[in-house]
Amino acid sequence: MRAIPERWVERVAGELRRPVQLDDGFDDKVMSEVRRLPRHRFGAWARALRPRTITISPLLSAIAAVLLLALALSAGHAIGMVRALRTGPDRPDGAAERAATNQTSGRRDVQFVLVAPTARKVQVVGDFNDWDASHAEYRAEHRGGGVWSVTAKVPVGHHRYAFVVDDSLWVADPAAPRLLDDDFGTPNSALVVGGEVAQ
Amino acid sequence: MRAAWLTSCACCIALSVTARAQTIGDARLARLDSATRVAIVALVDSARRQRLPTEPLVDKALEGEKKGADGGRIVTAVRGLSVDLRAARGSLGSGASTDEITAGANAIHAGFPMRDLARLRVAAQHARRARVTLPLTVATDLVARGVPVAVASDIVLSLARAGLRDPDFTMFQRNVRLDIEHGADASAAAQTRARGAVLHTGRTS
Repeated sequence: MRAIPERWVERVAGELRRPVQLDDGFDDKVMSEVRRLPRHRFGAWARALRPRTITISPLLSAIAAVLLLALALSAGHAIGMVRALRTGPDRPDGAAERAATNQTSGRRDVQFVLVAPTARKVQVVGDFNDWDASHAEYRAEHRGGGVWSVTAKVPVGHHRYAFVVDDSLWVADPAAPRLLDDDFGTPNSALVVGGEVAQ
Repeated sequence: MRAAWLTSCACCIALSVTARAQTIGDARLARLDSATRVAIVALVDSARRQRLPTEPLVDKALEGEKKGADGGRIVTAVRGLSVDLRAARGSLGSGASTDEITAGANAIHAGFPMRDLARLRVAAQHARRARVTLPLTVATDLVARGVPVAVASDIVLSLARAGLRDPDFTMFQRNVRLDIEHGADASAAAQTRARGAVLHTGRTS
């Protein structure tokens, strides 16, 4: 084999070492061609699954943990309350049972009558209106001759109630079964609203 | 230092939010003062864990608040009712409805022995009577009008065994009330009217 002359090797190397001159729009041409290339079908998933490094300060993470714990405890308590209120009619929970009877057996019209000739105002209060005298539907009207009456809807079931005369005097219903309800010094009456007949 | 202070504030805020959510309980109890409300919520939670009706307890607290009772008296009343509810449920059985348990608690509060509630339940079952709410209510009414507990208990038991239905119990109560209002002795009126009611059913106890 004949030896390659050294001056030929230098001439080839010199050509290879010469810097490449690119025009100004070369980069743009290349990127435009890259963009025209079809995207990968799972590109979004690939980006989502690519691991990334997130930095957070210890103080903020501690505060966030405490707030999340408080939120979880409050939510758990609220869920417990909601479950207690939504218990079925077979469980001895008054609110749930009353709610169920309101929906199924409904409420019945009950007439409340009190003879109070000197009264200016008579209201019916009881467990069916949270003992709140401000409910207009339980405010009696004077029918004349000292007779006060109101007909109001009462849920089916057992109830305790009384009349409030002139916003101050608590009076049991003389015509209704009495209760030995001496816890607060004023009498109450019992009312059983049945599925068929209001008592 | 500032970081510790900020962390402490965040902890306090979070714990106070949680504690407030647990102490308010039923929203209606917000009408009570804080100390009373905490005690009532505890009693209600205890009753709920024992699967006792809780609405009567809340009602009792609201009644006390509306009648102007102080917190201590309200708590005492609710605690007493809780005990009576538990006793009534024990006497009437786990299948008793909320209304029966409430009426039973009223009867126990009036002085009826727990065994009489159990006897009433048995008598009602024999007479194929579904609920004893009204018999218990009438029994409590008799005692409240002056009939001795033992006499009232025997009367209501005999009426239940005779198969008296709710409208007849209501009529019996009304007649006894009218007799007493006209000056009759309470026991005599109740026993007389009971004999008539049993005769009306055509069955004897």
